Amino acid sequence: MANSVERRNLEPWQDPRAMPYVRIDHVTKKFNDIYAVDDVTLDIYQGEFFSLLGSSGCGKSTLLRLMAGLERPTAGRIYIDGMDVTDMPAYSRPVNMMFQSYALFPHMTVEQNVEFGLKQDRLSRQERAERVSDMLTLLQIGELRKRKPDQLSGGQRQRVALARTLAKHPKLLLLDEPLGALDKRLRESAQFELVNLQERIGITFVTVTHDQEEAMTMSTRIAVMDAGRILQVDTPTAIYEYPEYRFVADFIGLVNLFEGRVVENEGDQVVIESTVGRRLRLRDLRPHAIGAPVTVAIRPEKLSICETYQEDGVNQIKGVVEDIAYLGDVSIYRVRVSPAMLVEMTLTNVQPRTEQVLTWGQEVAMEWSPTSGVVLTE
Amino acid sequence: MNHGRWKLYTFLGLGLAFLYLPVLLLIIYSFNESRLVTVWTGFSTQWYRELMQNRQLLEAAWLSVRIAATNATFAVILGTLAANALVRHGRFRGRTGFQLLLTAPLVMPEVITGLSLLLLFVTLEDLVGWPNGRGFTTITIAHITFSMAYVAVVVRSRLSQMDRSLEEAAMDLGARPLRVYLSITLPLIAPALLAGWLLAFTLSLDDLVISSFVAGPGSTTLPMVVYSSVRMGVSPQINALASIVVLIVAVAVCIAGFSLRQRSAGANSPPRA
Amino acid sequence: MHKLLAKLRLRDRHLARLVNIGAPYLWLGLFFLLPFAIVLHISLAETALAQPPYTSLWEWVDDGILQIRLNLQNFSTVFHDELYLAAFLNSLGVALVGTVLCLLIGYPMAYAIATAPERWRVVLLMLIILPFWTSFLIRVYAWISILKPNGLLNHLLMGLGVIDAPLTLLHTQTAIYIGVVYSYLPFMILPLYANLTRLDFSLLEAAADLGCRPFKAFLKVTLPLSLPGLVAGSMLVFIPVVGEFVIPDLLGGPDNLMIGNMLWTEFFGNKDWPLAAALTLSLLGLLVAPFVLMQRLERRIEGEPS
Repeated sequence: MANSVERRNLEPWQDPRAMPYVRIDHVTKKFNDIYAVDDVTLDIYQGEFFSLLGSSGCGKSTLLRLMAGLERPTAGRIYIDGMDVTDMPAYSRPVNMMFQSYALFPHMTVEQNVEFGLKQDRLSRQERAERVSDMLTLLQIGELRKRKPDQLSGGQRQRVALARTLAKHPKLLLLDEPLGALDKRLRESAQFELVNLQERIGITFVTVTHDQEEAMTMSTRIAVMDAGRILQVDTPTAIYEYPEYRFVADFIGLVNLFEGRVVENEGDQVVIESTVGRRLRLRDLRPHAIGAPVTVAIRPEKLSICETYQEDGVNQIKGVVEDIAYLGDVSIYRVRVSPAMLVEMTLTNVQPRTEQVLTWGQEVAMEWSPTSGVVLTE
Repeated sequence: MNHGRWKLYTFLGLGLAFLYLPVLLLIIYSFNESRLVTVWTGFSTQWYRELMQNRQLLEAAWLSVRIAATNATFAVILGTLAANALVRHGRFRGRTGFQLLLTAPLVMPEVITGLSLLLLFVTLEDLVGWPNGRGFTTITIAHITFSMAYVAVVVRSRLSQMDRSLEEAAMDLGARPLRVYLSITLPLIAPALLAGWLLAFTLSLDDLVISSFVAGPGSTTLPMVVYSSVRMGVSPQINALASIVVLIVAVAVCIAGFSLRQRSAGANSPPRA
Repeated sequence: MHKLLAKLRLRDRHLARLVNIGAPYLWLGLFFLLPFAIVLHISLAETALAQPPYTSLWEWVDDGILQIRLNLQNFSTVFHDELYLAAFLNSLGVALVGTVLCLLIGYPMAYAIATAPERWRVVLLMLIILPFWTSFLIRVYAWISILKPNGLLNHLLMGLGVIDAPLTLLHTQTAIYIGVVYSYLPFMILPLYANLTRLDFSLLEAAADLGCRPFKAFLKVTLPLSLPGLVAGSMLVFIPVVGEFVIPDLLGGPDNLMIGNMLWTEFFGNKDWPLAAALTLSLLGLLVAPFVLMQRLERRIEGEPS
């Protein structure tokens, strides 16, 4: 059992000497003529809680099924714990998967479901009974052992499915939308439970999800996928704060995207003339050619109300409040800054709603700091 | 709108009456004392007693039941394999031909199937000495040929409704394909297998035309006995036999329906949190 | 041996494939397809007083010459003898009228079941299927005692004073139609029902909302969408009825011969196997077109093989 604090601090992906636990090497999967997974290379380290994030049809589930051995790659190799498992069928892989539908066998009791995988390993009766008990205790479902799946609630089913996959002590646990079948209230507590469980047993988890909040809450790292390719692999913070692609910036959370061209680039400072007529200054270490087209991404919560608006001010913009979305803790203001562009700004509701500073039709000036946005070239 | 509904339901009721009335009359008159079917002279069970003493008919019934059971068992095996092929092996080469061969026996007029199978058996016997004479074996083979198509239809629909991820989960948990099929797939499609078996059994028990072609001397099935006696005219004994058949079917259907209802009631019981 | 087993295990997916596809294919090829080749073979032979009662097509003549005699007389008889032509026409007519009658009666019934409250549907459907499980022969037989000159129907009608003398019902074309509708109605209702339950009835509400009167909505929305079930049901009735034997034999008269009866008589009565074989092939040829239509439709409904 790995010490969670130690593991989190290790960040093995930062360590060039660390051996990846799962290595996906230029894997492609074609269905007829469609590339479901397109030349994906990915390393996952031991003890990670890794998430594949993307919209439906982006190939994330196929990638998971490739790891499970339920699909065979058209090209490329897959290694788990240093072993080439590409040609190994699903039933021989040291990997288990929790299905989105949970796929509990309806004709077996909870106990029999959990025991099923152990029977396939030809464990002795006594050992099977012990492991089943351990698992039922671990997931606190001991009192359900004689029930059939159709007598369980959604949350209970999820626990049984987890118990069944974990009973085999897999090297790698794959979870396809593990919380997708739960209702919203249950999902949030289940997120934390899943993370705690993973930290306790120390097994490497790979999940597939389309829910960015879920991925952000649970994961050590996230891979954002689109059209069969992996765009960016990073920690939740990095994915959110430093997206490398427009798609990633747009997919995770709300974002304002300013199109423009580079007009100055000195040291770590880049100045961009945006299409809405304002100049933006950002901190960026990469060299940019003058005149190069770029996109600037700024999160709504990085904007604040500007008291010192100047006509030629940098990192300032002015517009008229068009929409207010009151979400309780925060409000999102949609501000029309040009005929073609709305800028979103999130403000914390320090005061009750009736005393808010901004209202519809009001003119407002906004500003942000050079470190709170990123320059995107792709 | 409601008015139209009632007209529709009345029509449905009449249609069902049309389906059931003749059989009902048959049952009522099986208890008629008179040999004349049309005149009710009094309640009697004598036709049932005579039926029970009709050796020829009882022997034919026993043969028919044996054929039907053998047929049903083989038809379920072959029909299930065919359903596996259609649902699980996707677009294999020769799929169109396979499907064609599997659908044709469903609609093929019995005289065609019967005659062509007989000619096959005669030719084979001429060439390779098998089958040596016609009877139980040839009738059973003929029945399997059309029954398996019906079984395939029943099993196929069940199989294609089955959640694929159950089998994948079993495989993921370490079960080899054959084990997956035996411990997951088969138990889950068992109701369809049972339905298919019963259907094949009934179809075989009911067949007159094909059996008449491929039966040999000394292998007379129940429908063949019924047919020859019906050709002679209405017989109260046949009424009694028909009533027994209807009774058996009704009981079987009630048992099947009841057990299915219980099963689904179990599935729908509210989760106890 | 061990190596072979290992190889087999590696290939158990392929093995499963081989068994699943191969076994039914082999069975149907041997006992369904091959017989037709033999039927063709015998239809080209001549009758003979022998066991089996037909001549061989080929014969070795002295000096290594294989002599093949194809006798087309049987087909010529089938196509030119008016007796057979009449039987063919009658078969097609009975099948057509029977199908239309089943459709007219079955469609409203299927519609009523499909639109009935959920909990009633299973019971109603069961009631439609139930007769199918009781003996076909017995169900046809039941009508004899109803339709006889001194049968139940005539008794009832005379008792009510509707008629004075018994009607001739048994051994007529009408009796055949009754028998066909009675026996084949479930085959029409089931595919129609299956199709209609999948129909989205909010479409009808949408049509009504757009100002379409119920009957017109039925014609423009329900009917076209239920066409696949309609054609499937019609073929399930039409094709077997063309070759029907029991119904015309028990309920029809000497003037209502269908091709199934002719075939039966040629085979069992006249022991003319080659002619019966030629009749079989002609009947088969007649049914190819409707069968192909049904297959096409099924493939279209099925779409991608899953």
